[in-house]
Amino acid sequence: MIKTNPKNARAKRALEKKESKLVENVKTALFIQGSTGTRLLHDAMCDLSAFKKPDIKRFQKKNDIKPFEDASPLEFFSEKNDCSLIVFSSSNKKRPNNLTFIRTFGYKIYDMIELRIQKNHKLLIDFRKTTFQLGLKPMFVFNGPVFDSHPTFKHVKSLFLDFFRGQTTDLQDVAGLQYVITLTAAEVEEGKALPSVYFRVYKLKSYRSGQKLPRIELEEIGPRFDFTIGRVEQPSPELEKEAMKKPKQLETKTKKNIETDGMGDKVGTIHVGKQDLGELQTRKMKGLKSRFDQVGEDFDDQEYEYANDEVVEDYEPAQKKQKV
Amino acid sequence: MSKAEPQYKPVTVDKPIPVNFDLGNLATFDPNPVETSQLEQNKEQYLADLNRDNVQLMINQILSLPIKTTTESANGKDSSLTLVRLPAPTTDLPREKPLPKPKPLTKWEQFAIKKGIHKTKSHDKKMFDEEKGEWVNKWGYKGKNKELDDQWLVEVDEKHVGTDKELIDPRSLARGERKKLIKKNLAQQKRNLRNAE
Repeated sequence: MIKTNPKNARAKRALEKKESKLVENVKTALFIQGSTGTRLLHDAMCDLSAFKKPDIKRFQKKNDIKPFEDASPLEFFSEKNDCSLIVFSSSNKKRPNNLTFIRTFGYKIYDMIELRIQKNHKLLIDFRKTTFQLGLKPMFVFNGPVFDSHPTFKHVKSLFLDFFRGQTTDLQDVAGLQYVITLTAAEVEEGKALPSVYFRVYKLKSYRSGQKLPRIELEEIGPRFDFTIGRVEQPSPELEKEAMKKPKQLETKTKKNIETDGMGDKVGTIHVGKQDLGELQTRKMKGLKSRFDQVGEDFDDQEYEYANDEVVEDYEPAQKKQKV
Repeated sequence: MSKAEPQYKPVTVDKPIPVNFDLGNLATFDPNPVETSQLEQNKEQYLADLNRDNVQLMINQILSLPIKTTTESANGKDSSLTLVRLPAPTTDLPREKPLPKPKPLTKWEQFAIKKGIHKTKSHDKKMFDEEKGEWVNKWGYKGKNKELDDQWLVEVDEKHVGTDKELIDPRSLARGERKKLIKKNLAQQKRNLRNAE
């Protein structure tokens, strides 16, 4: 860990901003070129960062890092720049056009995956289509059952969702639904290499359909990448458990005695205390007031004794009196 | 409509296995198997059609969510916004940093818990000055604790009578006392920070 003592208020505020929060900020992505990066990789990273703007940082200089051998420089960059998503580019004969997607948790490597761009790529600039506004929340489509079953593809799904989803919100502007990021993968066949992941981005066009819902057409805006999956590093179970923890403070408390029945109606239960009928207020009459009690003059002895006994024995409810 | 304009795709889509949604993340997960033969022959068209159907399904879902309309005025113009109320995201994604740890108690707070001391009322900075007839700061700018500083005549404190402090200006004595308290508090803060690590 880099330890610093803030010397002034601004530095202190900056440090506080970096601290872990209950509700987290949008993850920032850091794009690092490897020493063997190519023109294509540079352009591909530019295109990917276009979708992630404004939460990006890009390094201009090349860095000689081998993520799967020694990831400590990446951890350092992650902490220094407060970025938890890193894209690292490298290209060599064995692993051509390779993008390594790295996620960090608490400035330590969480998981890594290598995605290699196949030959038939098409960049944003090749499409020459009108694109979308900056900083919009994208929609996602994941095609194929592998994204729910195979651990590597689950990793890919989680990575792309985490990477591009932007701010989580409970209110979404309908006009902001402008583009969709899609990933498609075929079935995994045993004995063969893992199937490619097809990364496509489309812009939405909606037309009136004559019905209430609009008819949607898609127009590809790029980039278009077919990824081959390379080396993968999964998080250890303990780290994963730690990273998936949900803060207790944010859990919604269930309110007692309020239920929703089968019809969707809200039903409340009200608990009233036991009613003591002896205390019941009956009709008020002047003659029944206590100052008109005839206890002093001609009072029935028997009744008097009984009432006395009752006090001595125990405090019995008034019902007993009525029985006698 | 389909007869007149057959090139138009339908608004409703049928899938053999129903599609899953995570509307909090605006995501659709299609568990239907991808056809490998189609992928080999006409990949782009097949992918475009597949994605269109799924996006249509998602848009249908999103527009059926509760909708809130508000008006936003920018540059003197009123424009109405249609907002969709999204549910909470259901896909678990890792956090960026570990959950924040609760702040360690200071020495005073530990002591207060042990002794059962509660804060009685809010620690207000303002107090009412009877002489001036207005609300003044207890400390800080023109604070009440600096009252002595600008008096033209100050009594010597009884406890200083007969000691060597008797001849020192009582204003500077009071100031010294104040500074001492600040120093003490800073030292306590430092100690608490040290203990917290």
